[in-house]
Amino acid sequence: MAAREKDGENILQKNQDQEARLVGYIKENQDKFYRLAYSYVKNQEDALDVIQDAIIRAMEKIHTLKNPEYLKTWFYRILVNECLNHIRKAKSILYTDQIPVLEGETNTFGEREAAIDLYHAIDKLEPNLKTIVMLRFYEDMKLEEISKVTSCHLSTVKARLYKALSILRVDIEGDPVYGTQNSLIRRKGEKEHEKEATKSI
Amino acid sequence: MKKKLQNLYEQIPVPKEELSAMIDDTIAFQQKRQRHRPVRVISTGVAIFAAACVSFVVMLNISPAFAKTMYEIPVLGDICRVFTFREYYVEDDTKIVNVRIPNIENTGNTELEKRINQEIRSKMNESVKESEQRAQENYDAYIATGGDPKEYLPMDIHMDYEIKSSNERTLSFVIDKYEAHASVYRERYFYNLDLQTGKTLTLQDMFGPDYQDLVYNQVKEQVEQLDSETKQYIFPQYLTKDLINQNRPFYLDKNGNVVVVFEKYEIAAGAAGALKFVIKKESL
Repeated sequence: MAAREKDGENILQKNQDQEARLVGYIKENQDKFYRLAYSYVKNQEDALDVIQDAIIRAMEKIHTLKNPEYLKTWFYRILVNECLNHIRKAKSILYTDQIPVLEGETNTFGEREAAIDLYHAIDKLEPNLKTIVMLRFYEDMKLEEISKVTSCHLSTVKARLYKALSILRVDIEGDPVYGTQNSLIRRKGEKEHEKEATKSI
Repeated sequence: MKKKLQNLYEQIPVPKEELSAMIDDTIAFQQKRQRHRPVRVISTGVAIFAAACVSFVVMLNISPAFAKTMYEIPVLGDICRVFTFREYYVEDDTKIVNVRIPNIENTGNTELEKRINQEIRSKMNESVKESEQRAQENYDAYIATGGDPKEYLPMDIHMDYEIKSSNERTLSFVIDKYEAHASVYRERYFYNLDLQTGKTLTLQDMFGPDYQDLVYNQVKEQVEQLDSETKQYIFPQYLTKDLINQNRPFYLDKNGNVVVVFEKYEIAAGAAGALKFVIKKESL
């Protein structure tokens, strides 16, 4: 029985440690969570709601997280799921997004417009693709991390990312692949090009 | 291009104040809610794991020493009587069980402690077991009719206690159990103990042999004086003298008054909820 008692105390202690870590992590990254949530739900109230739901879920389930290293991807998974659930439920409601205004210098003519176009194009991607693009480029996650967040195979993540990029017709790391800099319109018959472009990511 | 995109993304305005306030509130609320769940064992539906968690719960139940070392909470501070409780939390596909069972101690009457604690334990365990069985049956029926296990909302089985009053002479508490699924079932068990004689107090002990008339008349009088909104829910024909018997639930409030309780639906429509009436000795 003594050993069992010890186990009980250990579990208790471990749970408390994990919870403290989770709370710290949430508070540190709350702005990031907000932007991500907002990108899905498109209004402040709902963004706050989904974050709240995600926190409640996470705090209820934190003791199921075996490896503390995965706290980040684990929490993102909960948050992304809450967001996707929300937009699934609220499908009939459409919100118009406010176009963010890019401040500061624009060095090349048209680049700013291209970025804004691209930003909105990403926004309009179907949720599965959008998630991967946002995590990759806005949250700077590695593909392995994205695969944990989305509970998908690494190969699925790659495939989706390529698909998203081919829809966006752009290599985000570099310049727009097709046409002039401020044009995102794709020319026909350039499939080869597209493959090369996606490889560079 | 990537930098520019990130730039745009970062310009999504963040309502810092609202966000921080919401997050702090949510975390504080969750922590408060979960403080009473020191042991959290989760079954992911794997049978072996489920078996392990059952044995853990049983151990908590049969080993007061184990429970005590983990949570010893003196509720009554300066008075020598201390309530410790056993507590456990179990969650699986079919149910979420959250139980706090009281245990009385240091009353100076070990005979009474033993009897009451044993009674509470067996009654509560029995009751929770019944609920768990219902939860399993519901779950099985749901699956058998082609329901998606992922969509299933587990039954919430909750048991807790509240001390109504405590002094040198008497101890009064209520154990509250509810089972929430499609609808909510609630059961309450009232305990009123005479710590000197070791007896469980009855209305007769409180008011003498004529307790029935006395309590009945006072309840009737108070029903008349209820505000019109509550009064419209009362079914006067159900309020009979037979209801006032030795099994009528009651508790002792902080001033030592007897408060008799009528559960929801007993003498009124459900909208009125449970009704309670303070009975005074003087108006005999």
